[in-house]
Amino acid sequence: MITFIVLQSLLFFRLAYNEGLKLGLTKAKMLRAFRTGAISTIVPTIAVIVALITMVPVLGVPIPWIRLSVIGSAPYELMAAGIGAKAMGVDSLGGAGYNSQVFSASVWIMCIGSVWSVSLVAFLLKRIKKRYTKNIGADPKWRAVLMNAAFLGVFCIFIADPITKGGLPLVTLLCGASIMTVLALIIVKLKQNWLKEFALALSMIGAMACTALFSYLF
Amino acid sequence: MIRLDDKALRETAYESKVHMIGRCTLIIGLLLTFLPPFILWLAYGIIPPLNNLISGIISISAVMIPVSVVEILTFSPMLGSSAMYMSYLTGNISNMKIPSAAISMEAVDVKPSTEEGDIISTIAIAGSVIASEIIIILGIILIAPITAKLNNPIIQPAFEQVLPALFGSIGAYYILKEWKLAVAPLVAAVSLSLVPGLPTAITIPVCVLASVLGAKFLYKRDLIKADE
Repeated sequence: MITFIVLQSLLFFRLAYNEGLKLGLTKAKMLRAFRTGAISTIVPTIAVIVALITMVPVLGVPIPWIRLSVIGSAPYELMAAGIGAKAMGVDSLGGAGYNSQVFSASVWIMCIGSVWSVSLVAFLLKRIKKRYTKNIGADPKWRAVLMNAAFLGVFCIFIADPITKGGLPLVTLLCGASIMTVLALIIVKLKQNWLKEFALALSMIGAMACTALFSYLF
Repeated sequence: MIRLDDKALRETAYESKVHMIGRCTLIIGLLLTFLPPFILWLAYGIIPPLNNLISGIISISAVMIPVSVVEILTFSPMLGSSAMYMSYLTGNISNMKIPSAAISMEAVDVKPSTEEGDIISTIAIAGSVIASEIIIILGIILIAPITAKLNNPIIQPAFEQVLPALFGSIGAYYILKEWKLAVAPLVAAVSLSLVPGLPTAITIPVCVLASVLGAKFLYKRDLIKADE
């Protein structure tokens, strides 16, 4: 399964790499993108492992591992496992009454729930893409603004949460933001371009270190 | 003229290759995900009663169909086609794939939703996928010692805050780039988060829409300098 995933990404990597060469992107640039993608993933992946650990007592090692390596994310899997159990008349994961049959219901539901999104992408993405390329129009400046706005929209959802909750999440958010600001200043003012690849990973680690320190002190 | 035709032809060749590989790998991948329940069924004879299974399927589908449709429409312009196929096979899209694609395009100075952007986001997500699979495997191998360490009361709270850490950092980067763009989505997101229990399947599209409309307003009035 995991070999298959890695195979898919290698296939796409090669295809994109060759296409990139034709478009005149330099090798260095593309390898840099690869590195940046990899480095930026490290810390969120560790969070996935932590989520995995919380699921292991209930669902064992193999199922959460497979599920978190493909398609799902921790909240989805927990929800789906919960729905599976509920359909069997069991209200909690683990605990009394959570026998092997209920467990298998959880597993089935986890798998079936993700069929929708995956098959939609598999069958309809081509058409959706065509529609978009037609609509987006010819104004490259507006397109750049539009994309930045779309990214910001996704980010703001996750930024708003700590702001309204306050407390430790807010501390972490602010630490991450200030470390990133400092790093961005260094990159721009001192022209330290290499730092760009590491900026995200560094500020996340920094922010989490601050959080650990903060919660230890107070 | 001839060169232009060449270019158009090459692009469609690339695109159709991407869709072909993407469709095949996604469908095979999807079938592979059903291995565990089938093993439970065929090897151990454990299968839930059909009625219960069907009721479970109905509940999960009621949640997932609208969620999937909206998500796909939201994410597909941000990532290129091949990046979409990879993201959907591996999951963790909004918390892992989108940020790493965004920061990579920044790192090498290309614009999203252009040919170069599609290629860079594809490569970035390939990197992200490979790195995360390797780390998860390492995590599984080391799971026993890691569990002990991560339950350490000093480190534990830090890992609960990984999302604020991620989005504080990447959000700050984008806000530094163009703070005016952030006003509309931030207002929308904060007000949405005051309503308890809204799933991200609703909040993310609403917020993206608010952000885009805000951007359009600013752009029309020449209040933002687009970097190009």
